[in-house]
Amino acid sequence: MSYEKWLELGLKKGLEDLQIFASRNQSLKLTIYQGRIDQHVESDVESVTLRGIYQGKISSIKFENENEDAIEGMIDRLISNAKALTADEPAIIFEGSESYPEVNQETFDFSQIDMADKIQLAKDLEAGILGQKHVKQVQTTTYQETANETTLMNSKGLKLHRSNSYAYAYAIGVFEKDDDIKTAYDIKLVKDYHAFNLDEMIQTTLEKGWAKLGGSSVKSAKMPVVFSNEKFGELLATFTTIFSGESAYRNLSPLKDKVNESIAVSSLNVVDDPLHPDAYFQIPFDDEGVATAKMPIIQNGVFKGFMHDLKTASIFKEKPNGHSFSGRISPTNMVVEPSDVSFDDLIAPIEKGIYITELQGLHAGVKTVSGDFSLQAGGFKIEKGQVTTPVKMIVLSGNFFTMLNQIEAIGSDLKFGLNNVGSPSVYVSELSIGGDDSKAS
Amino acid sequence: MIDKKILQRLIQEGVSQGADFCEIFLENTHQNMLRVTGQEVTDASSSNVYGAGVRLIQGNDEVYGYTNQVDEASLERIIQNLRVSFEGPKYEAKPLGDSAPYDSQVKIPMETKTTQEKAEKLLPLTKIMADYDERIVQSIAMLSDMKQDVLVVNSEGVYQKDERHYARVILMAVAKDENSMQQAYEGPGRSMGFEIFDALEVETLAKETAESAITLLSAEDIESQVMPVVLHNGFGGVIFHEACGHPLEATAIAKGLSPFVGKVGEKIGSDVVTAYDNGTVDNAWGRLSYDDEGRPTQNNLLIENGVLKGYLVDFRRGRMMGAKPTGSGRRQSYKFSPTSRMNSTFIAPGKDKLEDIIKDTKYGLFAKKMGGGSVQPATGEFNFAVQEGYMIEDGKLTRPVRGATLIGHGKDVLFKIDRVADNLEFGQGMCGSISGSIPVDVGQPTIRVQSMTVGGAGGQK
Repeated sequence: MSYEKWLELGLKKGLEDLQIFASRNQSLKLTIYQGRIDQHVESDVESVTLRGIYQGKISSIKFENENEDAIEGMIDRLISNAKALTADEPAIIFEGSESYPEVNQETFDFSQIDMADKIQLAKDLEAGILGQKHVKQVQTTTYQETANETTLMNSKGLKLHRSNSYAYAYAIGVFEKDDDIKTAYDIKLVKDYHAFNLDEMIQTTLEKGWAKLGGSSVKSAKMPVVFSNEKFGELLATFTTIFSGESAYRNLSPLKDKVNESIAVSSLNVVDDPLHPDAYFQIPFDDEGVATAKMPIIQNGVFKGFMHDLKTASIFKEKPNGHSFSGRISPTNMVVEPSDVSFDDLIAPIEKGIYITELQGLHAGVKTVSGDFSLQAGGFKIEKGQVTTPVKMIVLSGNFFTMLNQIEAIGSDLKFGLNNVGSPSVYVSELSIGGDDSKAS
Repeated sequence: MIDKKILQRLIQEGVSQGADFCEIFLENTHQNMLRVTGQEVTDASSSNVYGAGVRLIQGNDEVYGYTNQVDEASLERIIQNLRVSFEGPKYEAKPLGDSAPYDSQVKIPMETKTTQEKAEKLLPLTKIMADYDERIVQSIAMLSDMKQDVLVVNSEGVYQKDERHYARVILMAVAKDENSMQQAYEGPGRSMGFEIFDALEVETLAKETAESAITLLSAEDIESQVMPVVLHNGFGGVIFHEACGHPLEATAIAKGLSPFVGKVGEKIGSDVVTAYDNGTVDNAWGRLSYDDEGRPTQNNLLIENGVLKGYLVDFRRGRMMGAKPTGSGRRQSYKFSPTSRMNSTFIAPGKDKLEDIIKDTKYGLFAKKMGGGSVQPATGEFNFAVQEGYMIEDGKLTRPVRGATLIGHGKDVLFKIDRVADNLEFGQGMCGSISGSIPVDVGQPTIRVQSMTVGGAGGQK
């Protein structure tokens, strides 16, 4: 049965409007361990999400069983879910934006590269790290490629398509020196197979691992902290829900009623930029078919507005801004805008502080509603304006909202993470560091 | 989904050129999520996971493929693609046996209830939270239910069906005053149907969730320090899950990536520590009749009086290690190859009383409710967050504190446990690892750890 027929069937069953979001994912994953293939996984999975309006209420169902005899049951379930809703909230299936941003739709076909080459790539990556100084072993070496095709169509006549392909690779080195064990990796995501640079990945992994060895704890204190570009991006990524219109509407964001108010130092600019040239992915439309566009989130320290889906945009009487992804409101590419301050200049004024390059437990030690965070961390001491000895097993604690007003300086080294958040290094005047005095050096 | 004779033929295809083991995992899962916000039903959505995973193994080497196209031709194509990875003789697959009976333990299957009937159970809970205190500015109650039907078939003759029912009630309260906004959370889950609402004291939990959010408003940020920590029962077991559970999984052991490699029979903790991973606890969130490799689950003794007794082992890593599988092969769905995972992991009850442990602690932290955590098995470094905590001063609970995260090393922490109470309870969580996200119980009685590094934002500059 074609998607057109599904639309017909849904309308016949009493849905006022219906959207089909169909996605096909093909992937290959190879992991290497000690020169042998540890995992070799191939997949091809299609999934469909139906969103439908029944008597003014909208609900959704996602499924993978696309057999003809199953579709009717899926639509029935959607209807019974919609019937249970009591909240009087906007229910919208979108007729389409006036225009959509142009993005490069050409995708590299990773499946054309010989399997043997990919296996060799992963083996070479592992071999380049194994046997090097202080390398105890390589925990795992992964090569993964994904090709994704997405089709969106609805009963309002909208039909959109987007496709994507990428591959990434990394090796987790296990380093040991004098009973101290640390792990390190460098993940590289490419849109073209030939963009992998193994020598660089091996070198970066080794340097990261070596630098961590021989670390100690520090005495508990409050002190200046510099987040590496990757780690500030990861922390910001865990807090993006505070910028969601849904959170604001549900009373779950302290930024509710703070639009156009100062919430950060004036040097901080955060934008959501679906087409940012350095981002891994350029995103022309969201999962409701709304065209994306660059939007300021924080401008010169002032909060500029929430990310919306169709529903919350209608509630706040704003234009939808294309932030509905996988049934939630989330950013496209969120970017902390860099300055022209080099990393060396950024840390130069710091007499005594910590440079954070490792954060663990972000799913647990972060409270988005209060802004509190308390996280296992690691990194390096900053002494007299220089990065010096490694620091491990400390807890970094603070409050995100307070911290936004304690940013002393922002670096120039913008880097995107796989979470689609990009940030340069960021210097914060004071956060709490918890350590073990007996193991401090 | 597919006829047994066809499966038998496909399995034989799998072992016809070098692979000595072939397994097909078929799955059809339906999940529903219902959310009540304040006094309105705001979300009701469903999802279906449907597909097949095929695994071929030669010696210790494995290839895996999966698709949602569950038909003979598609599975045959996967097998043909996968088996070119191997060369070697043809093996004879054993004839498929009969599926042994399974007990889903469900009394009132969720599919017999309408979405409205479920919503009626949630609406009183948000009301209890909202009415608890005028500073409660938001109350949310969710019901997540799931039914997973699986069939595991392999070349050793296993043909095992299983049906798993999961129900989880999630409660969240948000409190706000002029100084801050705080959230509290509870998420009890069981292998049950609609009867979960009778089995759990959900009204009490709703009141406690609201109470916890209000308490956090007046709590001070804890000051970073090293001190004794009393970890309360239930979800406190996250400490053992992270610090020891993961490093005892064959996934880590087979690669030598764990502080506990080669330590069976050796002392790895203090005398008061005895711990199990049990897949057979009635109606438990982490319970399974059969694991995702078709083996009956069992009760595995991990540590007895501080001595390491065993690991958690799946089929393939059992081959690598020369160890017997322990019924611990688990995966989120057909999109993952199974590996050794936990079910219901807990520290066994001791003889102490909670009150005595507090009374005998001059100064420290009482961690009443824990949040999640994580561990890197290679280094043994773990962390977890405290959701609700109180200072212990002169043997008494004094002021509430918030924002504490505890860190430590798996190889040290078990030696530092010096008190174990008699009040074993379980807490429920979703555990993420290489074979995906799965329901697990963590559990323990109240325990005391002599010293831990506690981090928080409080204290003077």
